[in-house]
Amino acid sequence: MSSFRGGIHPMKRQHGGKRPTRDLPIREFISDSVCIPLGARQGPPSVPCVKKGDAVKVGQPIALPGPGPLGLPVHASISGKVTDVVRMAYTGDTPVMCVLIENDFHNTWIDGIYGQREFSAITPESIIPAIRDAGICGMGGASFPTHVKLSIPEGARCDIIIINGTECETFLTADDRLMRETPMRIVNGLRLVMRALSVSRGVIAIEDNKPEALKSILAASANLPGIEVKKLRTSYPQGGEKQLILTVTGREVPSGKLPVAVNAVVLNVATSAAIADAVLQGKPLIERVTTIAGCVKTPANLLLRNGTIIGDAIGECGGYAKTPGKIALGGGMTGICAPNDQVPMTISTSGIVVYDEEEAQSLDEQPCIRCGKCVGACPSGLRPYILKHYCDEGDLIGAQSEHVLDCIVCGSCSYECPAQRWLTASFKNMKDKLALAAKGGNGK
Amino acid sequence: MNWIAILLALGVMALLGLVFGIVLSFAAKKFQVDVDERVANVRAALPGANCGACGYVGCDAFAEAVVAGKTPPNGCRAGGAGAAAAIGEALGIEVTPAAPMVACVICQGTAGVAKDRYKYDGYRSCRVAASLSGGPKECRFACIGLGDCAYNCKFGAITMRDGIAYIDKNICAGCGTCAGICPRRVIELKPLNAQVLVRCRNSDVAREARSVCTRACIGCGRCVKECAYDAIHVEDGFARIDSAKCARCGKCVTVCPCKCITLAGAAQDLLESARNNAAV
Repeated sequence: MSSFRGGIHPMKRQHGGKRPTRDLPIREFISDSVCIPLGARQGPPSVPCVKKGDAVKVGQPIALPGPGPLGLPVHASISGKVTDVVRMAYTGDTPVMCVLIENDFHNTWIDGIYGQREFSAITPESIIPAIRDAGICGMGGASFPTHVKLSIPEGARCDIIIINGTECETFLTADDRLMRETPMRIVNGLRLVMRALSVSRGVIAIEDNKPEALKSILAASANLPGIEVKKLRTSYPQGGEKQLILTVTGREVPSGKLPVAVNAVVLNVATSAAIADAVLQGKPLIERVTTIAGCVKTPANLLLRNGTIIGDAIGECGGYAKTPGKIALGGGMTGICAPNDQVPMTISTSGIVVYDEEEAQSLDEQPCIRCGKCVGACPSGLRPYILKHYCDEGDLIGAQSEHVLDCIVCGSCSYECPAQRWLTASFKNMKDKLALAAKGGNGK
Repeated sequence: MNWIAILLALGVMALLGLVFGIVLSFAAKKFQVDVDERVANVRAALPGANCGACGYVGCDAFAEAVVAGKTPPNGCRAGGAGAAAAIGEALGIEVTPAAPMVACVICQGTAGVAKDRYKYDGYRSCRVAASLSGGPKECRFACIGLGDCAYNCKFGAITMRDGIAYIDKNICAGCGTCAGICPRRVIELKPLNAQVLVRCRNSDVAREARSVCTRACIGCGRCVKECAYDAIHVEDGFARIDSAKCARCGKCVTVCPCKCITLAGAAQDLLESARNNAAV
């Protein structure tokens, strides 16, 4: 099996951290209330179109797309009463507008949700607008608006769609369960995207540590022309967009370019399933499967409505097993820390990982011993130990000459470093500084 | 001992020295570059920290710009009046020094005063901490206290104590590097003689501001009423003092219910003791 250069196998002895939840079926959980953040993804924040006291139904738009091509609408994920529209602190540096809804537990959907439609009834031109109207953004973590990803720019072309079912992150099994339980939705999503872009080749890529998912997807995609299922070596970050394209097609995305430069588009399996629901059934994106793992009493794969407070979801899993020290939204390698358990999850939250106080303790940085493990681990071919010196010194030019902008912030170097150096954190800081400097601010 | 070999070696070295000496002295005359003496003199008058506050990449570039007349000769903020006078002397002109500025931390949110949102245990950088849910302190206007400013201060004027930055006015050169680096913009350049400062810029409504910090400005306006010189105004929910109008009487300091207006220097100690006496 071919693969990208570098990479690691985090938590190998604990089955990549996946053992506790990989055999637990998806269970639906609907909480008493939700808090839906409107700006917690890439692109301009959506503009709320409901006010305090309004009654909303499931799937009703509560916010209109923000300005620009990246704007997306947001839909109510439960039916009930809007209790507040307020700016609240979220995981980013500035507070975001949130819509709070109290559940009436009737689960009334808006009108116009049609049953399963046939493929032949769908025209290729109608697919991308339907994806935008359903408010779909990437569900793998980066939450980039999907309709923008699928709008191939003038002059470029696309000849392969890759569905990312690698789920290389630690702890997460949400995509694995989705592939095992509803493979048809994923395959249908891929077929729709291929139809929209008139692409004849679609690949569903799955790591070899998920044999059941492979079997289930193979069965669902049998006899469908143009769709392949590819088994990949288990390696982190196999699911990184650029790494995945290299592994599947052998094409390397040039530095600073998007995947479309090598004629490829990559979508997450959950996004693909959401596309199928949106186009075939007219359902907006209101829920996702999230793995809740770590220091909770009964880890689970929960089907959560958008905006569920993470404390409620953890409560559904029996609460904390020990005093929590840290809660990460996302996987163990790339998850972002939540300030407390009263913040909501969103459509891009693939996991909620709780660490106890002992695990959350940070390690002291030791001097670099020049062992070069970080160089071997880096999937982008960088030299993290040299790059870190530039980042610590705040040398913008030096860091760029060591290609800090090609860093995908996967955390492999930090994981491997025997001196426990804060490599990834310093690179992320430098990337933020450079982005700020590019905008004309003071990059220091 | 082979005297001839030693003498030969000495002779060869002497000959080589002579040849190189002639070549070099010729080259020195032939390829001579005229250096403006004034640039060197102006450069000598500068502090040499290359802080960049003048807008040029370093002291050398600034000296050249001054001699070329591209920038006013009092542009060196770090050097202040001393550098201005020395530059004037070097150029034989009169230079009026710019008003001396000093960096001030517009926050008193020390540990225990400003409420914590969470315990931050990550990469020691204010910018990184600020990008995680708006920082480890509840107040989104507070000094984060991880020392990006202290790390970047060329003069070593900043120390971190109790979770906020302290700037030594005697060392601070007023270059403004820290003000540009601070992700929260809690450091502002103020005239050196602006001794009365509102040390909070929380623009949230009073209830919210007060709930996150006991020393937050709540915009109550008592200082505005007390001020006899029309120097204080409440805008965006917090008070600001116009240092040009302020007579430094310190009356506002005594009426502020949140103790967020401070008086710098010796006057501060007097006031503290007065307050303590009143409390007793």
